[in-house]
Amino acid sequence: MPPILIATDVHKQYEKGSVRINALQGVSLEVQHGEFLSIVGRSGSGKSTLLNLVGGLDTVSSGSIFIKKKDLARMKRSELALHRRKTVGMIFQSFNLISSRTARENVELAMAFGNVRRKERKKRAEALLASIGLSERMDHLPSELSGGEAQRVAIARALSNRPDILLADEPTGNLDSATSAEILELLSDLNRRQNVTVIMITHDKVSAQSVSHRILEFLDGRVIRETRTRRRA
Amino acid sequence: MKFDETSRITVSNLWRTKLRTVLTTLGVVIGIGALVAMVSFGTGMQKNITGMFETNDLFTSMQALPSKINMDEVMHGNMESLQKQDNKNVPPLDDRAMGRIRILPGVDVVYPEISFPVKIRYRGQESRTLAKGLPVEMGRYKPYSAIPYGRFFKADDEKSIILNPFLLRNLKIRLLEPGNAKKLSLEDSLRGLRSLPPDSLLGKEVELVTSVVDVSSLIQNPMFTFGLGRGVPVKETTTRLKIVGIDAGRGAFEGPYRDRGIQLPLITAQRVPQMGFSSVWDLLRSKGQQRGYASLYVRVKKMTHLDPVKKEIDKMGYGTLALADQLEEIKKGFVILDMALGAIGTIALVVAALGIINTMVMSILERTREIGIMKAIGGSENEIKTIFFIEAGIIGLLGGLFGLVLGWCVTRIANTVANFYVARQGGPHVDYFYIPPWLILGAVAFSILVSLLAGLYPAIRAARVNPVEALRHD
Repeated sequence: MPPILIATDVHKQYEKGSVRINALQGVSLEVQHGEFLSIVGRSGSGKSTLLNLVGGLDTVSSGSIFIKKKDLARMKRSELALHRRKTVGMIFQSFNLISSRTARENVELAMAFGNVRRKERKKRAEALLASIGLSERMDHLPSELSGGEAQRVAIARALSNRPDILLADEPTGNLDSATSAEILELLSDLNRRQNVTVIMITHDKVSAQSVSHRILEFLDGRVIRETRTRRRA
Repeated sequence: MKFDETSRITVSNLWRTKLRTVLTTLGVVIGIGALVAMVSFGTGMQKNITGMFETNDLFTSMQALPSKINMDEVMHGNMESLQKQDNKNVPPLDDRAMGRIRILPGVDVVYPEISFPVKIRYRGQESRTLAKGLPVEMGRYKPYSAIPYGRFFKADDEKSIILNPFLLRNLKIRLLEPGNAKKLSLEDSLRGLRSLPPDSLLGKEVELVTSVVDVSSLIQNPMFTFGLGRGVPVKETTTRLKIVGIDAGRGAFEGPYRDRGIQLPLITAQRVPQMGFSSVWDLLRSKGQQRGYASLYVRVKKMTHLDPVKKEIDKMGYGTLALADQLEEIKKGFVILDMALGAIGTIALVVAALGIINTMVMSILERTREIGIMKAIGGSENEIKTIFFIEAGIIGLLGGLFGLVLGWCVTRIANTVANFYVARQGGPHVDYFYIPPWLILGAVAFSILVSLLAGLYPAIRAARVNPVEALRHD
């Protein structure tokens, strides 16, 4: 099976005021179907930039990113929206749930963008939330949930449109170690059981090793090391 | 995302910021309220004037005159134009001319306009008024088709008369009508008025007194008459006529107690001895004319016949005078009035639109992160634009509906207050405001349109939010 993601010589530059920042300087990588890839590195090393590019939230300055044989660099804005809706699901360090909506509504909103029917949406949201142990917390607002619960809701939302790739930007960054372990376990479980490809950014190299197949280390916008873990696909 | 889903998101967004939504909508409500009140005043006035024209058959009637007249010059005081005869070959405006006009397509009634000053005597009381001759055919038309008491004439040579309440008051008679109090006011009692049911007057005889030049006295002593400037010697003749009907007192927009004169059957009027002129106009018009009538009243079947008939009469060489022409001018004036009134309302609405823009831009700033999240989970620019656009549309819809209610309330209050003062002056009840169906739909549509326009910029701005930056936003 061909790789689900092929990035070739990706460059990304920002203008921050008068300063030009080279966030990515020629990154190339391939990700296989069903792979769990972790990216580690210091702050500002370009990890999140790469994830935003893969997620279709941003566009490359040069180079190409092919996901399921489609070049993101050539996509129109509306096509990128479709890509974010159908192909990828994103979770963030700060959960990014809509504060005025309940857990269920947050999950349903993503499906509403995906044009899933109302009844189906409700059913799927409830099943997803139940599967990650949040049956009792469905009608709670994000402010009424613990960090771990909020991140679970975010994961349920990311999975709601049945994406091919789950993009996790430091999903355990705001959580205590016990909860972090639970979230990592959940992601690993999803990867293993549902064969969802996961690309995760983390600071925690140790935990990354336990769940990932491969770890890329970033420094100054480049991949400086690639490590295969003992976990086999 | 489906439209109903987008609307649901929008409604919940608006509900979340209730106070702000209410205040923004209130701006639109006031704007639309002002617009509705202003425009309905304009249309109300127009309706009243047009209604008055219709009641008096001014859209379907005109005068044919012996010669062409230039109304502009007359309006500017150049009375000589009335005497000018453009074409010396024009035949006089006589019965033959009347026959020619009568057969024009669309013409329904033609008759010579006869009016002259008279005195009416009844039970020892006397009052001056103006008598007008009308043919039986006019009984088909307002106001003669709906004479409140009695009937219109049955024959042109009937010895009958139609009076009016104003004249009766001068004859010390007050009609006992359903609307009137049974008891006389102190003022009326002091003036010696009697209350009588209208029906009791029908069939009674009155004396119609007219003046004619006393030729015999003129021949006997011409020097005395003119030399000392005592005027032309006159002789009075009396004709006895039966009251067959009593006309309505007054209509809307007419002065409180204006005498509309009395009506006589056409031939009866022609037979009554009289001087032959009743005004300076008649005198001016008759100068240079040998024979023929001073003017003919021409009534056409439909409004659309007025212009072609007018042109035909013009072709014959006669002058025409249709008040409907003046109405066109009045209507133009109303368009300007409506625009001016509408503009005031629109200013209020523009201010409201700025309120909408402000509220929505603030809302976008507040919801930047939310917009970022929506984009991250697959919301397209169009969907996000639509969410904000519908938000503006809902504010417009609510503002339009409540604005309409506000506008209606304002017009009702203003109408009540205005009529209260008018009634104290003895004036009739008039609806000064009129909200036509197009205004109801137009106001709501305009409100939505203005709100959507106001929401356009914020919506585009929201759609363009950079998701990466938005997600970092606090």
